[in-house]
Amino acid sequence: MTTATQSDSTLARVPKTTAAHRIGNVVRLHFTNPWTILALPSIILTAIFLLNLAIWVTVYLSAAPDHRSQVSNGLQYTGSSFYIFVYMLVVAVQAISITFPFALGYGVTRRDYYRGTAVTFVILAAIYSAGMTLLSIIEDATGGWGVGGRMFSAVYFGDSWPVRLYVYFVLLLLFFFVGTIFAAVWVRWKATGLATLFIAFGVLAVGLIALIILTSGWGNIAAFFVNAGFVGSASWSLAITAIAGLTGYLVLRRATPRT
Amino acid sequence: MTAVIEVEHLTRRYRDVTAVNDATFSVEENKIYGLLGRNGAGKTTLMQLLTGQEFASDGTIRVFGESPVENADVLQNISFIKESQRYPEDFRPRHVFASAPHFFANWDADFAAQLADEFRVPLKRRIKKLSRGQVSAVGVIVGLASRAPLTFFDEPYLGLDAVARQLFYDRLLEDYAQHPRTVVLSTHLIDEVSNLLEHVIVIDEGRIIIDEDAESLRGTATSVVGTRAAVDAFVASREILHRDAVGGLASVTVTGLDARGRAAASAAGLELAPVSLQQLIIRRTGMNQQQSSEKEFEATA
Repeated sequence: MTTATQSDSTLARVPKTTAAHRIGNVVRLHFTNPWTILALPSIILTAIFLLNLAIWVTVYLSAAPDHRSQVSNGLQYTGSSFYIFVYMLVVAVQAISITFPFALGYGVTRRDYYRGTAVTFVILAAIYSAGMTLLSIIEDATGGWGVGGRMFSAVYFGDSWPVRLYVYFVLLLLFFFVGTIFAAVWVRWKATGLATLFIAFGVLAVGLIALIILTSGWGNIAAFFVNAGFVGSASWSLAITAIAGLTGYLVLRRATPRT
Repeated sequence: MTAVIEVEHLTRRYRDVTAVNDATFSVEENKIYGLLGRNGAGKTTLMQLLTGQEFASDGTIRVFGESPVENADVLQNISFIKESQRYPEDFRPRHVFASAPHFFANWDADFAAQLADEFRVPLKRRIKKLSRGQVSAVGVIVGLASRAPLTFFDEPYLGLDAVARQLFYDRLLEDYAQHPRTVVLSTHLIDEVSNLLEHVIVIDEGRIIIDEDAESLRGTATSVVGTRAAVDAFVASREILHRDAVGGLASVTVTGLDARGRAAASAAGLELAPVSLQQLIIRRTGMNQQQSSEKEFEATA
């Protein structure tokens, strides 16, 4: 391969870059237009919050004055924030499906693209978990926005702000990286791939439930979560996050930008 | 010889079609190449292979002496502008031009701004609201202002009007003269770009059928025009690419006319006309097809 090295030295090339530099560039690409990953989710989060607030106010006003203090208690198992997490899955899918073909046109390798995207998701999880923790502190301090409402201080997120910050962060990571699987499958195999994936997930879920029922395993599962606690359960999700992240990369590394 | 691209026996098969079939060629540094061929001939697949976006089924690709697949050191020297390039939803042209310098070391922001002005690209309008021509202009601007050592333009002008296309050709030539680099331009508007091209590669049904210097390619064929009898007599012993006849006049395209042939032609009172690159390529790529369609015609008649 002497000819290759020879041509190497004489051909004009741009200076080499470090992986950190290239990964940083992908992160900057994601943040170039923060609309999809920051502005729109914040607007949606605000909308969910306002809708819930309207419901809390209704409940609060309709409750007899001496029962009002119990409203907050009844709302501690609220699922209203669950939508935020699901929406982050959508954000991950959008972010990848729209920037992947673009980034490859800019001469980015799939590997650098995926690493930069993963860093972006960690940054986004940090931003959103910090915001949600701040809101949970306000929620506590104002007695549930004055009407006993609970959204960010739901019981599963823990009862102190550091625990909530951690649980939020870890759960957001889970949804972002599960989103990468869907995004990577979409980018690589389009609708056919997604349909197959949904069917596969469906079969897996039914099989798992059947297995649990047949082995009378519900008690064990409940015991697992009780034993692990909020923080422990959240920490276990990191394993799923890691598997999802790796799967997303394995699918994406052979994907071709198509139209 | 300094080859930026060296391709040997490159093949890309899909389930039911071989998009690139045993292609072997090289691209030399600081030249403008035309990658020509009909729609579906394999031009886009070939460029996707060269830029590491597609994976080869067989054969080897060396770009800057290395495989381009997942090779950041190679890929950051490449700018690949596709006709069908998708931009992130909600991006505006200014976002495209703001993010480009992260990826192209030679990016010239002033040049990009000048081009945006000349192509009348509205910087603050969402890309999905732009006209087809304006979207193409965004790609053309990125391709020019990135000044990548190796630039691919894959039919970059969809929806661009004649004025904008001429502007593209002018700016490409000017900037190429000041900042020499290797350009591969895929197009089917052959006549428009024929003055730009220094080397022509023609691909047809996945195979490289012409790989020649543009100048010598033009010299490979000449049209001989005159009375039918004189033309027929002159071309009798020559290879005929194409024949047109109207009444008593004939125009025949023949290959390889040397100085003696030219002298003989003018002595016979025949006129010689250059054949355009487009005509030449149509003659050469259409030949098999024409023969087979003639056969079909005979069979049905």
